[in-house]
Amino acid sequence: MKKFLGNKLAIAIFTLPALLVYTIMVFYPIMQTFFRSLYEWDGLTEGTFIGLTNYKNLFADSVFHTSVYNGLIFAAIITVTQIGIASILAFAIADGAIKGRRFLRISYFIPVVLSITVVCQLWLSIYNGEYGLMNKLFEVLGIDYQQDWLSSGKSAIFAIAFVNAWQYMGYHFALLLAGVRSVPEQYMEAARIDGATKLQAIRKIMIPMMAETYKFCLVFAVTGGLNAFANMYIMTGGGPGTSTYTLTYLMYRSAFRVGEFGYGSAAAAILVIECLLATLIINRLVARERIIY
Amino acid sequence: MAWLITKVRKNNLPVTGFMWLYAILSVYPLLWMIFYSLKNNDEIFVTNPFGFPTNLRFENYASAWSKYNVPVYFMNSVIVAAATVVGAIILAVMFSYAAARLQWRLRGIAHTYIMVGMFIPIQVIMIPLAILVRDFHLANTYGALIVPYIAFNLSFTSIVFYGFFRSIPNELEESACIDGASIYRTFFSIMLPIIKPALATMVIFIFLNSWNEFTMAVILITKESLKTLPLGLLFFQGQFTTDWGAMGAAMTIASLPTVLIYMLFSEQVENALTVGSAVKG
Repeated sequence: MKKFLGNKLAIAIFTLPALLVYTIMVFYPIMQTFFRSLYEWDGLTEGTFIGLTNYKNLFADSVFHTSVYNGLIFAAIITVTQIGIASILAFAIADGAIKGRRFLRISYFIPVVLSITVVCQLWLSIYNGEYGLMNKLFEVLGIDYQQDWLSSGKSAIFAIAFVNAWQYMGYHFALLLAGVRSVPEQYMEAARIDGATKLQAIRKIMIPMMAETYKFCLVFAVTGGLNAFANMYIMTGGGPGTSTYTLTYLMYRSAFRVGEFGYGSAAAAILVIECLLATLIINRLVARERIIY
Repeated sequence: MAWLITKVRKNNLPVTGFMWLYAILSVYPLLWMIFYSLKNNDEIFVTNPFGFPTNLRFENYASAWSKYNVPVYFMNSVIVAAATVVGAIILAVMFSYAAARLQWRLRGIAHTYIMVGMFIPIQVIMIPLAILVRDFHLANTYGALIVPYIAFNLSFTSIVFYGFFRSIPNELEESACIDGASIYRTFFSIMLPIIKPALATMVIFIFLNSWNEFTMAVILITKESLKTLPLGLLFFQGQFTTDWGAMGAAMTIASLPTVLIYMLFSEQVENALTVGSAVKG
């Protein structure tokens, strides 16, 4: 048996291809990002070691401040709306007495399976200042509030965040629904016998018991928000001006448009630190001990 | 949730109302897209912006298909997604089998090492990856997308398979060994059939991921003839005012495979996409 499961050749055949591809395409680049952030580097030559200068320059760069701020705003908006709406919908669907449950479930989730380009293009046409659905809707309702939603530096980031929140709400809904279903029935039964109202039972029993699910939703939404890129790339190109830049977008511009690969790598390194910090904080605040039921 | 069921029958109009309202908010933009894929500009902008098309203009689909390179993007997406699914599944299932069942000293370390990849956002390694792809002369080939996509799906897929392999009782291998089967035979004829449900889930997961992937594609592919659908559709940004109908048609075509799969296997798709929470949380 030992010989059977300890077959060295078999182990090599099974593991080496995956380890090789992973090492070259994922692990080596991670190391490179940190290493290259210490270089003045154009992506072609060897580059020169400049220590922490890239980081110093980043902190002095006003676009960097905008990017960090936008990442935080974006993360905050999508976290609150996605998890908030998903919670209401998941608890309501779990009730089970509503007609058309299957249809509702599918409706909530369907934007998740679409390509982000389709979703962004679709919302570009909805937000369009001249022909867009949004302005048409205000027109039909007789409200004089037409505007070019994406071309104001103040509102653009919110308009984009709404699109992301719209697309991925269903993901959180599906997670939370699975969470609701995993809470054993006798706890809610006990609450009912003790005379709790449904809302009390959800707040005091259901939500705490779903802490693990909430933790994952939070990490997913917050890091997803901090990493945001595609929405901005497709919908505004970081504009107007630099008002919808995020860290990933800044990194993309620096490296692939301006040719400052070292500077871009430093932005990427800050992004990792930001995401790690967010994950640590969430882990510290939510469900510190594993819940067993 | 029997209690919740019995209570809700009586009341809760606001909640039910919200559920339906959100369903409309969620689905109507898509319907609107499909509607306008069948309209002409006049109907979209002036005569009938909201409703069902009065006159089904399927010629928009013909023109999206023939004028805007949609078949090329579509085929590229099929090739890239299919190759990624096959590659990632094969590598991950082999690796996780060895990590979960075979006996070697470094298996714990190897498993952790692969797991690290799950916590790294792809955005972070985009710069070195682009250079790497260039240095390997993969730039502007299918390989530029397929190889990184496979690599990126490895961590998560391996961890899911690992969990499944760990749950299989040891006796199966013991009896296979006694019956004189080789380790390879055991893997193919006993282990793979057992984890079929996990295989199906991960096929869906990887397919959806790679079909819709945008961020890496935008950096690694510039050649028109190799663009996948998410990239190709960017082109329509400049085309807005001229031909909205065809734009809607192209977007509908791009969404069709994933939406169809979801309609047919809604439970499995939701499970596939949310399986991460069980592992990552």
